[in-house]
Order: sequence, then structure tokens, then C-alpha cells
Amino acid sequence: MKKRIFLILIVLFALFGSAIAQIKVTGIINDPDGASIPGASVIVKGTTLGTTSDMDGKYTLTVNSSKAVLQFSFVGMKPVDEVVNGRTTINVKMESDNVGLNEVVVTALGIQRDKKTLTYASQQVSGDEMLKAKDPNFMNALSGKTAGLDIKQTSSGVGGSTRVVLRGSKSLNGLSSPLYVIDGVPMANNTGGQAGMWGGTDQGDGLSQMNPDDIESINILKGSNAAVLYGSQGANGVVMITTKKGKAGKTDVTFSSSTLFESVIATPELQFDYGSVNGALGSWATTKGNYQRNYVKDFFQTGSNLTNSVTVSGGNDKTTAYFSYSNNSAKGIQPTNKYQKNNLTFRSSTKLGDKLTVSTNVMLTEEQTNNRPGAGYYLNPLTGLYLFPRDRDFASYKENYAVFNKDRNMDLQNWFVTDDKQSNPYWIINKQPKTDITKRAIASITLDYDISKSIKFKARGNYDYAVKSNEERDAAGSNNTNVGKNGAWNYKKYDDQLKYADGLFTFDKKFSNFSVNGILGVSYQETIYGKGEQVNTGTNAMLYPNEYSFQNIPSNVRVQSIYGGRVIKEGVFANAQIGYKDMLYLDLSGRNDWSSTLTSTGNDSYFYPSFGLTGIISQMVTLPDFISFAKVRGSHSIVGNDVPFNVVNPQNSINGTGSGIDMNTQRPFTNLKPEMLTSDELGTEWKFLKGRIGFDLTYYNIKSENQFLTIPAPSGQQWTYYYVNAGEIVNKGFEITVDAQPVKAANAGDFDWKTNINFSTNKNKVVSLIPEFADRKVDLGSSEGYYNYIKAGGSFGDLYGYKFARNAAGQIILDPTSGKPTKSADVEFLGNLEPDFTLGWNNNFNYKNFSLSFLINAKIGGHVYSQTEAMLDGYGVSKRSGDARTAGGVVINAIQGTTAVTKIDPFLYYTAIGDRNGIAEPYIYDRTNIRLGQLAFTYDLNVAKLKLPVKSASFSLVGRNLFFFYKKAPYDPELTMSSSLQSQAVDNFSLPSTRTYGFNLKISF
Amino acid sequence: MKIVIYTMMIALFLGACTGQFEEANKNPYQVSGESLNQDFNNVGAYFSSMLSSFYGDQVEENLVYESFTRHMATPTPFVGGVNNTTYYIRWNSNWGLCYGSVMSPSHQVIKIAKAGKYDVFESWAKLVRVLSVSRLTAIHGPVIYSNYGSTSNDILYDKESVLYTSLFSQLDSINTVFKANATYAGLKNFDKSYGGDVTKWSKLVNSMRLRLAIRISKVAPALAKTQGEKAIADGVILNNSDNFLINLNGNILPLARICNQWDDTRMDAAMESFLVGLKDGRISKFFAPVSNTALVSDHPDMPYKGIRNGATLTDKSLRVSFSKVNEGFNTVTTRRFLTAAEMYFDLAEASLRGWAGAGVAQTNYENGVKSSFADWGAAGVDGYLADNTSKPLNYKDPVSSPVNDFISRSTVTIQWNEGDSNELKLEKIITQKWIDCFTNTLESWCDQRRTGYPKLPYNYENDSNADWGVIAPNDFIKRMPFVDAERTGNKAAVADATTKLGGPDLISTRLWFDTGVVSNF
Repeated sequence: MKKRIFLILIVLFALFGSAIAQIKVTGIINDPDGASIPGASVIVKGTTLGTTSDMDGKYTLTVNSSKAVLQFSFVGMKPVDEVVNGRTTINVKMESDNVGLNEVVVTALGIQRDKKTLTYASQQVSGDEMLKAKDPNFMNALSGKTAGLDIKQTSSGVGGSTRVVLRGSKSLNGLSSPLYVIDGVPMANNTGGQAGMWGGTDQGDGLSQMNPDDIESINILKGSNAAVLYGSQGANGVVMITTKKGKAGKTDVTFSSSTLFESVIATPELQFDYGSVNGALGSWATTKGNYQRNYVKDFFQTGSNLTNSVTVSGGNDKTTAYFSYSNNSAKGIQPTNKYQKNNLTFRSSTKLGDKLTVSTNVMLTEEQTNNRPGAGYYLNPLTGLYLFPRDRDFASYKENYAVFNKDRNMDLQNWFVTDDKQSNPYWIINKQPKTDITKRAIASITLDYDISKSIKFKARGNYDYAVKSNEERDAAGSNNTNVGKNGAWNYKKYDDQLKYADGLFTFDKKFSNFSVNGILGVSYQETIYGKGEQVNTGTNAMLYPNEYSFQNIPSNVRVQSIYGGRVIKEGVFANAQIGYKDMLYLDLSGRNDWSSTLTSTGNDSYFYPSFGLTGIISQMVTLPDFISFAKVRGSHSIVGNDVPFNVVNPQNSINGTGSGIDMNTQRPFTNLKPEMLTSDELGTEWKFLKGRIGFDLTYYNIKSENQFLTIPAPSGQQWTYYYVNAGEIVNKGFEITVDAQPVKAANAGDFDWKTNINFSTNKNKVVSLIPEFADRKVDLGSSEGYYNYIKAGGSFGDLYGYKFARNAAGQIILDPTSGKPTKSADVEFLGNLEPDFTLGWNNNFNYKNFSLSFLINAKIGGHVYSQTEAMLDGYGVSKRSGDARTAGGVVINAIQGTTAVTKIDPFLYYTAIGDRNGIAEPYIYDRTNIRLGQLAFTYDLNVAKLKLPVKSASFSLVGRNLFFFYKKAPYDPELTMSSSLQSQAVDNFSLPSTRTYGFNLKISF
Repeated sequence: MKIVIYTMMIALFLGACTGQFEEANKNPYQVSGESLNQDFNNVGAYFSSMLSSFYGDQVEENLVYESFTRHMATPTPFVGGVNNTTYYIRWNSNWGLCYGSVMSPSHQVIKIAKAGKYDVFESWAKLVRVLSVSRLTAIHGPVIYSNYGSTSNDILYDKESVLYTSLFSQLDSINTVFKANATYAGLKNFDKSYGGDVTKWSKLVNSMRLRLAIRISKVAPALAKTQGEKAIADGVILNNSDNFLINLNGNILPLARICNQWDDTRMDAAMESFLVGLKDGRISKFFAPVSNTALVSDHPDMPYKGIRNGATLTDKSLRVSFSKVNEGFNTVTTRRFLTAAEMYFDLAEASLRGWAGAGVAQTNYENGVKSSFADWGAAGVDGYLADNTSKPLNYKDPVSSPVNDFISRSTVTIQWNEGDSNELKLEKIITQKWIDCFTNTLESWCDQRRTGYPKLPYNYENDSNADWGVIAPNDFIKRMPFVDAERTGNKAAVADATTKLGGPDLISTRLWFDTGVVSNF
């Protein structure tokens, strides 16, 4: 470790050694009130040479010439230019910029724009904010920090995949997932396999390979209005990641270390008093016994997550470089779950001559996850753990999960029953190991050429390549529903690649009252996902037990070639922003896309336009003094959304079971069209009291048409299914962000409080689906009493299921003979997953060297479903079912025949409503939850006073997801079983929710 | 100048591109129609996959007709113990198997074969359709056959009386082609059942004709007689070496997996009652003995224990120790579709019905039993045929007795007695046919509905209700409802089909061949 840093340092010094020192200028930068400004930027005009002020507002910079001009800038202040003129001390008092908004943000393609000129909403989060409580998957740290962004983490532990949706689901096809872009270039984000109702494990996505320490800031382009330049890929919004880069004239070495612990907030509420009757699977005895009660709690351990990272950056006026190494090592709350990640990043930028700049970027990541926790019934340790009959001896099964079998001369599983849905939990975690490995490299090169003062050319090329493998080695003796008698080998290895290139001209010029910014460019992108091999022996007997190789697979199992798809997209795009007197901006964009997924349809070339208008009212008219800034904006855009690979004319396939060729039975879709998204966005932004308080309000209306829908063909037609372009889905919503500084420090070190509120609400409506089948429901995945239907008039996330059958008086109708509660004739609407609104409240307090921040996240409204609870009830292991036995029955308002019933036998009741396919109504829960999302307490060491040989050092105590202020559901509804569209509102034996806490240390040299 | 260069670069960059789109949008691991022209795979390579789609798996076969026919029973109280086996429909997916995996690909094969004038392949594909559709109609009643391939959105079902007539005429035209091409060698590479011998397929055509004729012998006696006599004259399968077996392509027989790997199915109590009661040598070929002798205290000499179908089961683990299928099923490479034994039993019934050429009932009956014993590799057939005293046993559920116990409704014996009534003779024939049809139960379900034989135990637990139709406590399920996809997606046609069915779309409505008339003669 140390050796590596050393080596890098040597390389860097060799690079920067050529700097020539002439005049050393120092000074202090103050604000109008005389307080020092830390972090202000000082740049030698016309060069990339520069620095930033330290904690006390001090800066030091070496310039080559006495004529050099220093440019001082800081957010919220008017920039100041000072000619050096032989001075060695230049103190600057900056004036606050009344407009308060000379904020530069990164927009589509990595182009920087003045935020006030934008015609659409975008919201930026700094890298520091995201590093407060590190998560290997950087998106998880964004929850609650931007409006309109919905983040659901899979319950699969560290490094698991994350579902991200901006402004609601827009498509029945795919995930409505945003595009991820690093420094203007799209990155691959292919999500691996996901868990379902019957089992499986999340296999991660493409986000966790990024090192969060490398992120300078993230800008969220929420709608297609902002993302039109990315074409169809940006239809669901864009997450723009700007990375840290070396700065000229300043060598920085930082070391940061983060140690986090993770523990279970709550397991489901269980009973441990009542055992089974006659050795049954369920625990339905009616007399209490004295049984083991801690084995569920004891199964989980305290997880940990250690991250150490080093960054080295610096440069001179010709070359800058940035290097980082990060090591992440975690263990989960489920024993044997481990996560390891190493990430190496190198970036450099060199000026060749005075017109050409060449920048390169290389990122290498290696990631390994062992035994990532799954969900669902099959091969999940939690089913056996929770459902275990209470009168049996769990401790003996824990100790002796494997026992020697004389007949086979080997260890086999020891469990009290053969049952498809449960195994010995300790056998699963020890004898059925899963390993997921990802190795990824991203390399890119950028050329910037200044053709003239106002015209620049940029060309970029990027190659993103990942090799991934997922392996599960089930030992002989594992559950025979899924595993053969000699064990099973489920192995998959594939690669994902993304090639990207673009070239663009930018034009930037002022003509008296008018300013013109223009972009003209082309782009090419090719992705090949999931190309590789897989084999799964399943229940077929391997030749020899417990050997996992291609040689050992039986002859009736095929090694299969797999292919996720290849997509080529080409685009030509243009954008012009015309400004008038810094008060009115017109934005016009157009892009033509060519997509290989639409080949031979005649629709493979398609154009979409976008236009927007911004007016800065505060520049047009004189407003009262307390209003510092006012702006209104509006935009309209049309963007095509992707269609999947290979649906135009699919071919036949050799089937994996060796019975010959399976003929393609999908009707070719020769007139396939892209889905079309029409977005309208209106917004306004206000700042008051010199920027002390402000808000930003956005209203949007996104109409998605030409939905790409699968329809089972009528049985008598020659195809089994076909696709149509039909339907209309509308997402409408508001986003409000409020920024305020209730207490502003008069002097550096005084008490200071900044607060930020993000509010968003989205209403999704399926206006129409398939005109010729008006009442057709599209089933997004129904299983086990939970029905997820989309139909005209409904919306995404609608939950259906059986309710109790009730009479007009509201009494539950019991079966006249058995007395069991009966259910409604058909499945009925039970609620919708999506919350009514989402709220994030982030606060930062600073006092002297201390800072405290906390984030409260709230989701209000919405419904979720728990199959876990239904199963626990059916097996008589829920606390509820135990309490009911103790109380002598379940209180019920029911009727049997003509007799009113007020109390019902718990066994009769819970076995009727619970287990599989019971009555869903009692297992629907309010999603509303309010939590302390993040808490960070930081102490900055006064390094000068302590005479430490470092530039700065800070120590913080952090926590994430510490506790719930309010939660109704029996699990964390913001955790999801899978990141697929289907299982967002359902829990089936997924890992319990956890809290994370620990400390961070950061030192800069 | 420079701008011109850049613009040219951009133009070049784009010009190179859309040409490869078509290639890019192809899956390199899929097989194009062009590639399949090689070795005539375009017409032949689908047969294996189509043939293996006749039966389905747990939810198509084991928890449907294999349960209704009382061959196998589940120890698992699926879905809270309320499911198909207790007459509340949860799984109903044979439809998709027929249309998705047989009708749709065969449609395309027929198209290609027609275009290329591969007459035998065309007829072969048509035969595969008859084999599949004749099964599906036995499950639902009216099905889509003659209107298949229409592009209309409301495709009408065939009324059963019409359907059987068209199946017979389809068999006629198939056989014309087969007979004209008796030496055609083109099927060889694709035919895992008969090694490409067209004459054997021709014999299967005749045998299918007899099977269907027997099926409709009560409801349409004249048509049945004509067709049956034609089949007999043309020559049906009478040798076990001609049995129509379907290759499993190296995969395990689903029944063996469901039983031995999933522990979700066991010997049925009716099988125990008949096979133990009749001291049937085939029992050890079908099933594995239990190791726990306490389960078989009423007949320790034949230690086989079954589970009652439609039983009250509280917990799966209680009955997993009951008799599994014979371990040999784990490694079988083929499964039975139509055998010589079945044909002999059909001939025996035909004799009773007076069909020309059918021969002597007793001989046919005894040949049927002998063929069956030989086919299953069981010993002692002569003594078995001479037994005139053994009768099916009453059943006791060792876990929950008296719950699930039953008194055998059948008092049938084995030995033929020429003095018996036709009704009793038929009971013997169908009972033996039922035993022989193990692992190939669909036709036995037809027989049971059509003739009432064998006299099987009723459900102990009957959860039928108005949702899917009510089955009386002393009655059996009559059919499977039309599938949900059709009920919602092809409403008009389902309404029409319900009229053709002649009763509501419920499990209690009888199919056409199931006349409901008690007497079989």
C-alpha cells in the first residue's frame, strides 16, 4: 500500500518537476462582511494554473510574469480580476453577486453552462456530500438529496444493485432507468440477474464499480428536456458524473479512510412459544412450550465496511494529473457474505501547443462478492430460519448442518424435512457458496482543439469493458428441488462492452446585446451486453459429486452461448442557446438518431426536437430589494425511447434441452417504432435576501406513447405472441427545492446553518394500453397472491389481490361448513406502490471546527405487500399468530351462515389468509416511512495550531438509515427484492433492513 | 479550411454506419432459416421438440389428469390444500403447450414443407397436430383446430362432433401420403421413435384412429364403428416392438423428477387398492416399496402405500415416506404414448360392440394383459389371468385414519368369464387398460369419464364451488375450463365455444364423448 503511493508520488514529481518559479503571490480572500472565504478559486488568466484558498481564506500562487492577471471566483460572489503588477501580497474583498447564481453546471455531453440560463431543471450534488457516509454504490448516497429522484436499493447487501427512476416509470419495457454519464461519456450499466418470488440473487449492476472518492459532483438532468442531446438514451433522464481532476499549480495528496458497521434494525416479529403438532412443518400447537428463542437474532452478524482511498493530484500549466486508489472490504450481516473492491483511476490532461489539449482517463476495477444474499423461497437461508418448527432443536442443526452419510461416504445436509422452500440455513451459507466477480476497465481519450476564440472542437473516444462471472456451487445434499444428487453447478461468464465516440463543435460568442452558444456534433455508440457462456446442471446428476467443471456436467446438460444483445446508435445533434441582455434565453435542440434495433423497419432514423425559454425577471424589471433573483423557464421536448434488441425479425434457436430446434413463434415486428416521450416542463426559481433563501419549483408533464407491448397472440393464430406499439402513459409532477441559510456566520467559525428541502410528487397514469383490447391487463409479474397489473386507467405499481369476502354490513363471510374466512370472487385493487410525495430535508451546521449534518427522508403514502408475513402466519410462527393463541382467538367481525362470529380459531384463520395464495388484503401495508437517512458529525483538526505536517485533517462520525421516526410496514419498504420493474412493492424473505454507522478520517497533504 | 476537414470527418464517420445495423440486430446464437435448409433441418429439426411437448410437467400432467385418473397423488397441500386435486382449479396450462409448442411451429413446418413439396414431412407435421389436439380436446372439449392459422382476432373453436370428424379425415389424408411413400427415407435423421420407418408411422395413424373411435363409441356409435373397423382393417399396433414411444432427449421423465427429486407426488391410494388387491406383478415395476412397515400393516407382504387423491393433507412431510415410483424411471429414455396393450383392450371393447374384424373379446383381453406384463417386464401373467377371487382392497391412511380412508367401490376380478354381462366384461377391460396406462394416463381419464370404469374412489376433500363448478361428493371432475388467456383475450370465441360445449364453462360440464348414460351398451 505505502509502496504504491510512493511510486505514484515519484512519477508525479517527475511530471511536475519542470515548473518554473518566478513570483510568489500570497493573500487573503474575504467576503463583504470581512469573513474569510475558504475554497475560493484563484486562476492565472489564460492558463490552467491556479489554486484554491484554504480554511482561513489564504492562498499562495506562483506566477511567471508580473503582467499576469489573477482571477478570483467563488459561488455567490462577483468574480474579481487583479493584475499582479509586481505585488507579492494581493488581498481581495469579494462582493456578493446579487444575482446569486453564477453557478456553472455540467449539462448534457459534459458541456458547462451558466445555471441561470438553463431552460430546464437540474440539480447538483457535490462529491463531498456523497462521501459523508460512503456506500460502494454511489447512487445510494443520493437518496433524499435531489427532488424527483427515486432510489430503491436491493436488499442484497453491500455492492448490490440499485433501482433509480427519475420522474416516474415511463415505459412497460425496460426499467425506465436513467443514463449514467462520466465526464460527458455514457457508461455501461447492465444489471445482472435479480431475485424473484421463487428465489435467486441480485447479481449487481454497473454502478458499484465506480469509486465514490473520484466524484467531484453529480448533476441530475431530470427530464428528457435536459437530456435531448443524448437522444433516446437520455429519455429517462441522465445522471451526469463529473470526476475530480488535477489542478495546476497545486499538488494534493489525500488519504481517507472509512469504517462503517452495519446491523439489523429489525427482523420480522416472530413467536417462539408454540411448537408443531406431530412433527408437522407448521408450528400450530396450542399449548406453550419452553423453546429456543434467539436463533433468528443470532443468525445475523454485525457487518462492516472498510474503505481506504488515496488520491494524488496536481499539475502545472501544461499538464494536470489525478490518481486514485481505493480499497473496499466489507462483510454483510448474513454470515459468509463478503465484498471486496479495488479501484484504480488515472486521469491526465496535457496541453500540446496552445490550441490542443489531450486528456486521458483510465479506470480499473476488480470487484468480488461472496454469498450475496438472495430472496424468495428457494435456496434462501431465511425461509428455514424463520419457519423452523419451534419445538425442534435449532442449535443441533446449526452445529451439525452437515452430517456424515455412511452409504455415500460423504457429508450430507442435516435438516428436519425435505421441502422445496426450506433448507438448513447454515448448510446454504456454507455449502452452497456463490461468487460474483466483475473486472472492469474504462479508458477514454478526449481531444480539445481551439479553432478560434469562439469556436472549439472536441472529440472523445471511450471503451468500457467488463468481464463478469456468477457462480454457484451447490454441494451434494442440497435441497433436491433445485440440486441434483451430486450437487449442482450454475456458472455464467460474460462480458459487457460499450464503445463510444463523439465529435462536437462548440460556438460561443457575444454580439452586442446577444450571446450565442452553439453545439453541433455527431456520436456513435455500440454496446454488446451479456455475451458469454453459461451452464446450469440443476437437478441433473453431475458425473461426480462436488466437482464443478465443464468435464463433470452430465450429457443431457448443455453449455449454452448467451447473448444479451448488441445495439448501435448513431446521432447527429445541434443545439443553440441565444441570450438577450442576460435576461432572456432561447434554447433550441434537435437530434437525429439511427438505431440498429429498428433496422429494416423504415423507422431506424428518427428526429426529435426540443425548445426552451428562460426569462430572468430580476434582470427585466426592478423588483423589491428582498428579491435577489427571479426566473421563469419553460421547455418542450420530444424524445424517442429505446426498443429492445432483436425483436424485428428473431430467428430460431437450438434448445438447451437437446430436443432439437425451437422454432421462433414471435411474430416478426417489421413496422416497429420507437416509443415517443413528449415532455413539457415549467419552472421558476427565486432567491431572496441576497440568496439567504430561495426556491425552485418545477412542474412537468411527460407523455409516453407508442409503448412497446408484448401481447400473447390469439391461440389460433400461427404465432404465440407479438408486439405492438400502442398505449399512452402520462407522468405529471411537481418538484420543489428550497435552500436556505437560517443562520449565517458573520465571521469564519461562527455558527452557521444551511438547510435544503427536496419535495417531489409524481402521478402516473396509464391513459390507454391496447385499443383493440380495451380491457386487457398487462401482467407485470404476478405470483403468490400478489398481482401486479397495468391496465388502462390504472398506473404503474398498482397492486391487486384477494380481499376478504364481506357482506353488505361489512362482516367477513366465513365458509358455512369449515368456518374459514372466504375471499372476494376476484382479485381487487389494493393500492398503489408509489408514494403521494417524497421529502428530503438536509441540514448542515458549522461551528468553529465542528460541523453537523443530518438528512431526514420521508416517503408519504403508497402501499407495499409482504409475502413473508403471509408465510409466517401460514406456518404459525408470526408473533401475531402466537399472541392470538395466547388470547384464545383472533378477534373478527364475521358471519358464518347467519351466525355472527367475533372470535375465530387462529389456526383456521391464519392458514386461510396466510401461506401461499391466501388473502392478500391483510398483508398490504402503508409504505409511509420517515427516517433519519444520514447523520454526520465532523471535526476539522486545526492543523496549523497543532503543527501537524498536513494541510488539513478531519474526523467524522457518520450514520446512515439510523432509525425510523415512522414506519408501518413490517420491513423497510425502500429496500426492494430486485431492481426489476416487477417486484418493487413486494417482500418475500429478503434480508432485514439495516442501519449503518461508523467513522471517517480524511487527511490532505 | 479546417472546418471543411472536420465536416468531412463527421460525414465519413456516419456514412460508414447504418449498413451493419441488420447484422447488429441479430443474435449470433440463433439459427436462421437459411442455415436450417442444410440437411433439411428446416422441415425436420422441430419434430423432436414438438413431440416432447405433448405432456408438459407437474402442472400440466401430474396435478391434472394423472391425479384425476388416480395414478399418482401428491403429499403436498399445495395452495393451502385447495387445488386441482381437490377440484378447485389452480393450474390449467395444457392449452399453451399445444398451441405454443406444437401448433405454432407445425404451422410453419407445414408451410415450408408445402413450398418445398416435402409431402411426407407435411403429413408428419399434420399427424403431430392430430396427436396433440386429440389430447387437448379430451381436457377441454371444443378447441381450435380447423380455424387454426387464421389472422382474425376471434378464432372460433371446433365443436367436438365436428372436430372428431375432421381428425378422422385428416388421418385419412395423412395415411394416403404415408402409404404412397412407404419407403421414404427422409425422416430418418429426425425420427427418434421409429427411426424413419414410414410404415410404422402409418400403423400409428391406424392406432390413433382406433383410439379415437373407441373414445366416441357411445356418443356416435355409427361413426365410431366405421372408423374403428377401418382402423382394424388397416392394421393397428399389436406388437410391443411397434409401441409409439417418445424420446426424452436425455432428460429425466418429469414424473421421476417430481417424485424422486421434489417429493411432490406418490403412488395413488387407488393404485394401492387395485394392484395390491389384485396381487398385480406390475406393482414392483411401477412403484418402490416403503421402508416403514408400519405404513403397510394391513398388507405387509406387498409393502406399497399410496396417498388418496383429493385427500385432506395438513402437511407435506407426513406422507413423503409413502411409495415413490420405481427408481428405474429416473433413467428411462423414452415414455409411452400408445402401446399394443392399449390396442388389444380397444379391440376387446370393439368385440363387445360388435365391430367387424375385432376378433374374440377374451383373446383380446388376455393379449392385452399379456402385452402389458411383457411391456412392463413383469412376471406371473398366467397365474394373474387365472385369478378369479382377488379384489381391490379398502384403503386406510396410516397418518390420518379414518380421515382419507375409503371402501373400494370396485369389486372387479381378473379372470375372464364369458358368462359375464357386457357391462362387467367392459369393467374388466377398462380396469386392465387403466393399470397398463401408467405414466400415460390421459386416455384412461377419457375411459373413466366415458364408461365409469374403473370404479375409482371419490375425492375425500372436495373444494369445488361455483367459481369453477360444483362436483357432487359421489362424482368426478368432468373437464378443465377454458384457459384464462382465452376467456379474457378471445371472449367472443369462448362464448361461442361454450355454446358448442353444450353447458357452462365449468369443470362439472360433461364433454361430448361423456354421455352421462350409465349403461355402456
